[in-house]
Amino acid sequence: MVAVFLRELRSYYFSPIGYIFMGFFLLLAGFFFATDNVLRSNPQFQGVLSSIIFVFLVIVPTLTMRLFADEKRQRTDQLLLTVPVSVTGIVLGKYLAAVAVFLFTLLVTVLYPVTMSFFGRLPGWEILGGYVGFFLLGCTFIAVGMLMSSLTDNQVISAVSTFAALLLMWIIDFVQNGVPAGTVPGIVFASCLSALVVLWMYLATRSLVISAAALLILAALIVVAAFSVEGFYETFIIDFLAWFSLTSRFQRFMGGVLALSPIVYYVSFSTVLVFLTVRVIERNRWT
Amino acid sequence: MITVEGVSKRYGQHLAVDDISFRVDDGEVVGFLGPNGAGKSTTMNIITGYLSATAGKVTVDGFDVLEDPDQVKRRVGYLPELPPLYLDMTVREYLRFVARLKKAERGTAAQQQERILELAGITHVRDRLIKNLSKGYRQRVGLAQALVGSPRVLILDEPTIGLDPHQIIEIRNLIRDLGHEHTIILSSHILPEVSAVCDRVIIINRGKLVASDTTENLGKRLHDSSEFRLRVAGTEEAALAALAGVPGVSEVRAQGTVEQGTVDLHVETAAGADPRRAIFHALSGADLPIYLMTAMDYTLEEIFLQLTTEDAADSAAGSAAGSAAEDVDAGGGEA
Repeated sequence: MVAVFLRELRSYYFSPIGYIFMGFFLLLAGFFFATDNVLRSNPQFQGVLSSIIFVFLVIVPTLTMRLFADEKRQRTDQLLLTVPVSVTGIVLGKYLAAVAVFLFTLLVTVLYPVTMSFFGRLPGWEILGGYVGFFLLGCTFIAVGMLMSSLTDNQVISAVSTFAALLLMWIIDFVQNGVPAGTVPGIVFASCLSALVVLWMYLATRSLVISAAALLILAALIVVAAFSVEGFYETFIIDFLAWFSLTSRFQRFMGGVLALSPIVYYVSFSTVLVFLTVRVIERNRWT
Repeated sequence: MITVEGVSKRYGQHLAVDDISFRVDDGEVVGFLGPNGAGKSTTMNIITGYLSATAGKVTVDGFDVLEDPDQVKRRVGYLPELPPLYLDMTVREYLRFVARLKKAERGTAAQQQERILELAGITHVRDRLIKNLSKGYRQRVGLAQALVGSPRVLILDEPTIGLDPHQIIEIRNLIRDLGHEHTIILSSHILPEVSAVCDRVIIINRGKLVASDTTENLGKRLHDSSEFRLRVAGTEEAALAALAGVPGVSEVRAQGTVEQGTVDLHVETAAGADPRRAIFHALSGADLPIYLMTAMDYTLEEIFLQLTTEDAADSAAGSAAGSAAEDVDAGGGEA
C-alpha cells in the first residue's frame, strides 16, 4: 500500500495533473477570498469554501481520472495485480495519494484566514467546521472519481462520468423541492426501486429462487412500512434523494457544528465507494 | 512446483483455454508453444493470478492461486506480453518501486538491483526515463522487473519479442543461465527459440493442450525426418540411376537445377530407415559429389496441422502428458 501511495504521489508531482488541480483550486480560492472577504471586509472565510464547491466538481475529475484508467491502458495493472499486494492495498494507496494532494492544496488556503486573523477576530469554529466539512466532502468526491476511473480504461470517459455523477449529486439539492410528495407516489417509487434491486439480483445470480425471495421480502417491507410507520411514504422520494446529497451535509459544518451524523455519513459514503472500487478491480479478473 | 489441473477460461462465448492440465517440476525450464491466440497468455495470466480461471485449479509450490494468492505471488516473477512499465519513471526508480511492491528486504535490495541491472544488460540506461527507451530495452526492463525479489518461478510471456537478433541471443543465454536457479515457463511461437533454452515443450493450440514432450524428442522428430533434399554435381539421369538401388530410399524426384552443373533431388525414405550413409556411398561411387544434404524441417505450422488433426480424432486433449507425447512420435512416423 505504501509503495503504491508513494508512486502515485510521485506521479502527481511529476505530471501536470497535480499542478492543474492545485493551481485552479488556489486561483479560485484566491479569487473568492478577494471578492468575499477582502473587498467586503467579511471575516466568514467558510463562505469561500462553500463558493468553491461548484468549481470543485469540475476539477476533482482531473485528480482522479488517471488513477485506474491509465493503469489499465498501459497494462501496468498486470504488475500491480501479480505482486503480493492486496487489491484493497492498491486501491487505498491510490485513494490516499489523491486525498493527500487535495489535503495539501486545502491546507495552503489556511494562509487566508491566518492572514485575516492579524486584523481582527475570526469566527474560528465556523471556519474550522468549514474546513473539516470541505475535507470530508472532497474525500467523498475523490472516492466517486476513483470508482469511475476503475470502470473504464479511458481517461476522458473517466473524467466526464465523474463530473456527471458529482453534478447529479449536487443538483439533487435543487430537484428535491420539485419531486412529488404524498403516499401514493412514495409507494410507487419504493416499488420501482425494489423491482430494480430484484432485477439486479437476478442478473447477478441468475437464480430465480433468490430473486423471488428478495422480491417477497421487499414487498413485505413496503407493506409493513406503509401500515406501521406513520407518514413514511409522505416524503419518501425526497428522503431517498437526500441520501445522495453530498453538499447539503456540508452546510451543517459551516455553522461551526461538528455533528457526528454528517461525519459518519461522509466516511461511510467514501468507504462504500472505495469498497465498490475494490470489487470492480477484483471482478475484472473474472471477465 | 506448478500444477495446472483442468483449467478453462471462457470470455463470453469464446473458450480461450479449454481444460488444460500439466505439471512443471522444480528447476525445469518449460517452453509454452503455440500460434497467436492459442491461449498462451491467458494460461500465464491465470497461473500468475491476474485472471481467474472459469474452471480448474492452479497451484504453485503447493499454494492454490485462488486461496493463497499472496503466497503464490511471492514465488512468481511475471513478464507479461506487454512489459508493465511506468513510462514516467527512470529504470532505477521503477525497479525500486517493484522491489517495494514485492516487499524485497531493504538491506539486500540495493545490491540485488545492481545485479539485476547487470543481468538484464541495462546498467548504462538505469537513469533514463523508460519513456525514452527503445522497445528492446523496455523488454529488458520488463525482464528485470520479473527478477526483482528473486522469485523461484519465472513466467515469461514472449520474452524475446521486439528484440534484434543479437539481443535475442543474449536474452536466450540469460534465460538459460536463470534456468539453473529458477523454474521457468516461457512462451513463444518460435520453435527454435524454445528448443534452444527449454528442457520440455508444451504445445497448445486453440486453447487445448496438444502435446507435451522433452525438447530432445521433439528435436529428434524434427531431425529424424524421412525426407531429404540433395544437391548433387552431375546430371539428373546419372544421379537418379545412382540412387535407384539404394536400400531405404523409397522415392527420388528430380527438382531441377538451381546451381550450374548440379541437380536438386527430393528423396523420401522408407519408414524408420536412415539411408544417408548409403546415399553417400552410392553417389560417391558414381563420382557424383554431394554439395548439399538437408533434412526437410517441419515448420511449427506443419506440426500443428498434424497434431491438431490427429487430436480431433481422439479429441481427448487433456488426456495427460504421456499420451500427448506419443502423439508427437506417431506424427513423425506418418509424415
